[in-house]
Amino acid sequence: MTESLLMAAIIILTLGAIFSLKDHRIGFAASVVSILLAFASLTSETYFFGFFVIAIGVLNLITLFISENQIKGIDYAITAMLIFATILVIQTENFAVLIGTFVLVSVPTYILVMLSDREAKLDVGIKYITFMVFATIIFIIGAFLVVYFYKEMNPSIYIIGYVLLVLGLGLEVGIAPLHEWVPDVFSAADPIPISIIASIAKIVPFIVAFKILIATTNPVTYSITMFAAFLAVLSMFTGNIGALTSRELGRVLGYSTVANMGYILATFVAIVKPEFIYLAISGALLQLFANSAGKIGFFTAIKKEGVSAPFTYTLALSFIGIPPLMGFWSKLFITLALVYSGYVWLAVLLVINSAISVPYYIRLARELGKGWGYGIANIVGLIAVLITVITFYPPDWFVQSVKFIIETFGVAL
Amino acid sequence: MTEILQFAILFLTPVISSLPIALAWIYKPGEEWARKLPYLSVFGLFVSLVISLNILFNFEEGFYSYPWIEDFNINFVFVVDYLSKYMGVLTALIAFLIGVYGLEYMKDDYRLGWYWFFFNTFTASMLLVVYSDNLFTLLIGWEGLGIASWGLIGHWFRDDDDITFVGEKGRKVGPLEMSWSPSFGGWRAISTIRFGDMPMLFAIAAIYALTGSLDIHAIPWEDLFVKIGLVGTVILLFLFLLGPFTKSAQLPFSEWLMTAMTGPTTVSALLHSATMVAAGTYLFMRLTWYIKPWEAHVPGLEAIYLLVLFLGLFSALYGASVALGLRERKVLLAASTMSSLGLMFASSAASFWVGEIAVIVAFWYLIVHAFAKASLFLVAGHLIHATHDRFCSGNLVFSRKMKVAFAVTIVATISLAGIPPFTAYWVKSGMDGVMEHLMEEGLSLPFYLLVLVSVIYSAFLAKFLSLNFIKGEYPHHEHTEGGGLMKLAYSAMVSMLIVLLAIILLQREEHAAHFLEEGYLKMSLYVGLLVTASYFITLYKPTSKLKIGVIFTDRMYLPFLNDFIVPKIGWGIAAIVDALNRAIDFFFHTAIPGFFDRLSIAIRSIQSGYLKSYVKIVAASIMLFLVIFSLVGW
Amino acid sequence: MIVYLLLPIIASLLAPFLKPKKATHLISLSFLIPFFAACFELFNFTTTEIPLLSFSPPIGEFYVLIDPISSAFGLTVCMVSAMVGYYSFPYMLHRFEEMGLGENEYRKYIVIYGLYAASMLWLVYSGNFIMLYIFLEISLITSFLLIYMYGYGNRRWVGLLYFIWTNVAGVLTLIGFIVIAMDNSTLAIKGISAISMVAWLLIFVGMVIKLPGLGPHIWLPWAHAEAPTPVSALLSPLTVGLAGYILLRVYLIDPSFIQAYRNPIMIYAIISSVYAGFAVFKQMDYKRLLAYSTVSQMGYILIGLCLGTYGLIGVVIQYMSHAFGKSILFMTAGGIIASYHGLRDLRKMGGLHEQIPSISNAALLGFMNLGGILAIGMFGEFFILRGVVDVFGFEISTVPLIVAVVFIFILSGWYSFYTLKKIFYGTPKDLERPKISRYLDVPLYLIGILSIIFIFPPLITVLLNGLKAIIGGGT
Repeated sequence: MTESLLMAAIIILTLGAIFSLKDHRIGFAASVVSILLAFASLTSETYFFGFFVIAIGVLNLITLFISENQIKGIDYAITAMLIFATILVIQTENFAVLIGTFVLVSVPTYILVMLSDREAKLDVGIKYITFMVFATIIFIIGAFLVVYFYKEMNPSIYIIGYVLLVLGLGLEVGIAPLHEWVPDVFSAADPIPISIIASIAKIVPFIVAFKILIATTNPVTYSITMFAAFLAVLSMFTGNIGALTSRELGRVLGYSTVANMGYILATFVAIVKPEFIYLAISGALLQLFANSAGKIGFFTAIKKEGVSAPFTYTLALSFIGIPPLMGFWSKLFITLALVYSGYVWLAVLLVINSAISVPYYIRLARELGKGWGYGIANIVGLIAVLITVITFYPPDWFVQSVKFIIETFGVAL
Repeated sequence: MTEILQFAILFLTPVISSLPIALAWIYKPGEEWARKLPYLSVFGLFVSLVISLNILFNFEEGFYSYPWIEDFNINFVFVVDYLSKYMGVLTALIAFLIGVYGLEYMKDDYRLGWYWFFFNTFTASMLLVVYSDNLFTLLIGWEGLGIASWGLIGHWFRDDDDITFVGEKGRKVGPLEMSWSPSFGGWRAISTIRFGDMPMLFAIAAIYALTGSLDIHAIPWEDLFVKIGLVGTVILLFLFLLGPFTKSAQLPFSEWLMTAMTGPTTVSALLHSATMVAAGTYLFMRLTWYIKPWEAHVPGLEAIYLLVLFLGLFSALYGASVALGLRERKVLLAASTMSSLGLMFASSAASFWVGEIAVIVAFWYLIVHAFAKASLFLVAGHLIHATHDRFCSGNLVFSRKMKVAFAVTIVATISLAGIPPFTAYWVKSGMDGVMEHLMEEGLSLPFYLLVLVSVIYSAFLAKFLSLNFIKGEYPHHEHTEGGGLMKLAYSAMVSMLIVLLAIILLQREEHAAHFLEEGYLKMSLYVGLLVTASYFITLYKPTSKLKIGVIFTDRMYLPFLNDFIVPKIGWGIAAIVDALNRAIDFFFHTAIPGFFDRLSIAIRSIQSGYLKSYVKIVAASIMLFLVIFSLVGW
Repeated sequence: MIVYLLLPIIASLLAPFLKPKKATHLISLSFLIPFFAACFELFNFTTTEIPLLSFSPPIGEFYVLIDPISSAFGLTVCMVSAMVGYYSFPYMLHRFEEMGLGENEYRKYIVIYGLYAASMLWLVYSGNFIMLYIFLEISLITSFLLIYMYGYGNRRWVGLLYFIWTNVAGVLTLIGFIVIAMDNSTLAIKGISAISMVAWLLIFVGMVIKLPGLGPHIWLPWAHAEAPTPVSALLSPLTVGLAGYILLRVYLIDPSFIQAYRNPIMIYAIISSVYAGFAVFKQMDYKRLLAYSTVSQMGYILIGLCLGTYGLIGVVIQYMSHAFGKSILFMTAGGIIASYHGLRDLRKMGGLHEQIPSISNAALLGFMNLGGILAIGMFGEFFILRGVVDVFGFEISTVPLIVAVVFIFILSGWYSFYTLKKIFYGTPKDLERPKISRYLDVPLYLIGILSIIFIFPPLITVLLNGLKAIIGGGT
């Protein structure tokens, strides 16, 4: 059933891509239909996850409407591929498929990053692709090392694997000290494609890493976890402090991504506490969604030179972590997970970081918020805001669903 | 229940009856119809007077209570006993008479709403203090006195009329200018009083914590003192008495009383006779009445009563000497009040050795003093009106135009000085007796101090009379017409002294016999003669060129404490605090953000934009981590 | 009760569709109704819980907690919010004019204002620490926005500064709550039995930043001085004091931390209070001056917290008294600003009673509250002092402590009347007599009258009996 649904979805997507050469709207419609089909493939436990992914995906598709790029029409399909991968990754337990999804969210972005209203941004593309290829390779090597050596009780190789995996992940999503490409690419590329890279493309790598690391937990993991914590702290500080004095808005968002990836990486310390891992993953996922919604909203605002001020302020407050917006709950769950795992100091540093981040988020909100308005950018803003305010009803439901999800979390080895 | 209702009316009527004018003055100041409203306020005072008389004649002695916070044992408890029933009438009567006087004295004032509201609140608060047995109920009245006195002393807040100032403008002693404005007077009064009230509040809270009761009569005083021991007793009572000391302007808290003369004269009259300053001594008497130190010989008590005795006597001496040197009508009287209050404290304190009679003597002295001092102040007010001068001036020519005032002053001074056989003589004789009794306890100093104070006291009263009516300069201004209500008021006031004299001579009161008996003693007579001599000598020669006079005029430089030492210390600390604030502010709001800014620029400086340098960084970091982990492990 | 609590929220959402004047009345009325409801609860000694939502551990149940403590805080919040609401109407229109904004801006303002006040109201009725934290942050955001948009001076910088400090405070507290959740697997107040030292420490530090104590206090003068005055009149009287409320709630569950570190906390609180008291004298900006006085008064709350049963009663009363007094005073500051084009400099004031007697008299009422003179604060001071004796005993060794606490109260009286003299009395300056809108003075008197009638039965009786039922004390 699942497979046939996915197959159907891919066929529709392909057809849509072909016909989109005639009218790009066909490509859009086909993409939407296909991801809805993909959604239908989900089990009831993963509905909430799927719901957010689809919401963010659709939002990405809508933003593409704004952009006039070289491959108009195909771009929808490429984005839909990312969404597929994201829906697939939550369901699979197969190691090869996991690696596959990782590649699947990586490669399409190579094209996306070069898109632009005028001419393809090759220099940006080169910078991005260089690091992505590098990241993918390191990640995969790390994943193999971890998976094949955790049972051998060969701590040194397991540790090398763990380090490579985390570093690969860090390079892929932009975690300090491997974040150099992020601010440059985020400020130089076209805002719309980069909003896709900054949102939906970030989810899969973390889930893959989580699944692999959870499946390979062994006594050595307890000690090496500190490495993730160290990178997380470094990334938080680099991102937040770097953003403070940046003037280009794209660059600010780049640094903000670095910081947010740090927050999420911090949840890796909970991997050694199976009983609280659901909190860590709830926090990480919500943080990813909140980050995605916010990034899409802000990048669209950059593209259109401003959206309604209430939207930008809401998104900024969500980033800062003000209840009851989604950004609050995500940080709450992350903090809970950290405290439960015995990393109170990390939790405190996280708090300090959220304080440091206040000025630049507010600045973003102010510079991008322009009174009240209508138009497609505002629709995007509205949907993004709706995603972040959905947690007005405290997201206990999400946590419950995550509890079910992680029961099937793992890698069949 | 009807008794409680009467008490409620007694306290509330003055306040409520002054609300109309207060409101009128906030929104429509100075309207013609609003200037009629003071009659209503005075009517409120009259109602209080009637009720207080009713309490005197028709209430049984005892306690009347009404629930307040029963679960915490805090209730409205009112007492009718020897002290309160007379004191209540005294307060209400004097307030009413001064109210009548004020109708004329204040009629053209620019701030009637304020004046009458606080005047009536002042009276009501004093009545509450007088009748309260519960310490918390008393506190409400006590605080009311404080706030109302502040309002009234600073009544002429504009500081624009020299007649409202105290001291001589431009006269400097060291760094201080010896001149004080009304707004300053108000601030100084409330700040001094606050200094005493808060320790007193603490002492009351401590009593509450230690005994669970707040009713003066129900507190097991002796058990309490035994429980907290000698040191505890001394600390507790000392803190408690700081309240009465500041309110009654004992050393070194006397300065506010002098600068309180910036208020309207009616206020001074009320403040100095039956309210405010009397509240301090009255409270001490009331406490003593129930502590019964003559029965409960707890070691700590002796120390405290000794302290009060000497503090009172030295304050009396200080006040009297300073009064000698002062030339401002009201300030002179203010200093004399301080002196009298000292005597009251001293006499009440002597009860530790002498017994209850010492308190009764002090109380009688309070009554005599109240009527006499109120009369003198009212006369002084009239004189200031008539001469437009706050310094003593007036000679026989002038006094012919102010016959009533002249006569009232003579009666009041003679009655107050202790010249036989006038009113105060008998009471002072009682006091002589008390101090003589102390000699038997080995304390001879108090008696000599008392005699000294009495002599000086009589001298400055004579000086007041002489400089204002007999031997002073002829006034620069003259405005002697009118003043009917004022004359009526102070005549009525002074006539009360005659009534008191009659009561003593005709033995219409249980303790009168004691006073007569004491008055007939030889020793008392000698003192009386000394006082009389001093009175007439000063009357003949009211001024002196002695150097020491200047020191007295400058109040023995006590203003330096209030205006120099304490403020310098305070401002010094404030300056340190301010500097610290700046430092903290700089650290958090300049240094730290600056640090983050620099850090931020450093972090961003990696972003050269060159791919090759990025690759180098990334590759190097990955290699670094790998090397570390493969060599070191974890 | 829940209906009454919802009223302000509904009203805030409806208000922007009305004309400013009607919107103002709607908002204020929507707070006055719960005010009477809270009084009613107080009279009935209601202690009850109204369940709202239920969550899996460790969050636990969300419910509305009604007891005499929350009623006391609730009625204070309602009263002040309603009165400041009325006051906002002329003041903010004046402010918009000054900023070159139109009357339409009032719609935005009134929504945020309503939500700000409502969040504080909900905070005191929150029966779950997470719920409480959520309302804490909503109140922070709304007040931040008001400062950021309508403040004075360098308002954006001040807004950010305020945001960062209080956000840190809030989140530290949150982590403390999380630790509690870990130990008790619930955050519903009724379900918590133990609070570990780490949790206490985090909550305490967070709330001391918010309260604020000496050191972190430095944010407060900026925020309170530069906020638009109606916001200052909620911020200082209500918001910061809620930190005291939170500490009180935590204390009632488990007082171990305060008991273990009573002496250092007490000393810190005293130094903080005295320090701020002296700082008041140096301020030349009226609103800054009031802000420092807030720091000093909040020291009382910290002191009260160390003083056992009676100290806690003192904390509740002190909160009310400070709220009443300080809201009046900030509104007088605003009255002067509105009358004299932003006049805030004390050096340019003096003798203002001549021109604006109604505001001057209101200021007197306000300062009487601060000094605890003939207003409810009297009981606060009294119970705090009694607490000193109860907890520390009455011995020679406690004399320095007694002197220190007494001196704090003396100092508050001193700066109160010193300020009054400096601003309102003395030789009048050459200023015209402005026409004062009734909205700018009547609310002040209403608060003042409430604070005075609160010392008499039946109000004080039911308040104290209610507190007795929860906190203890009495005979």
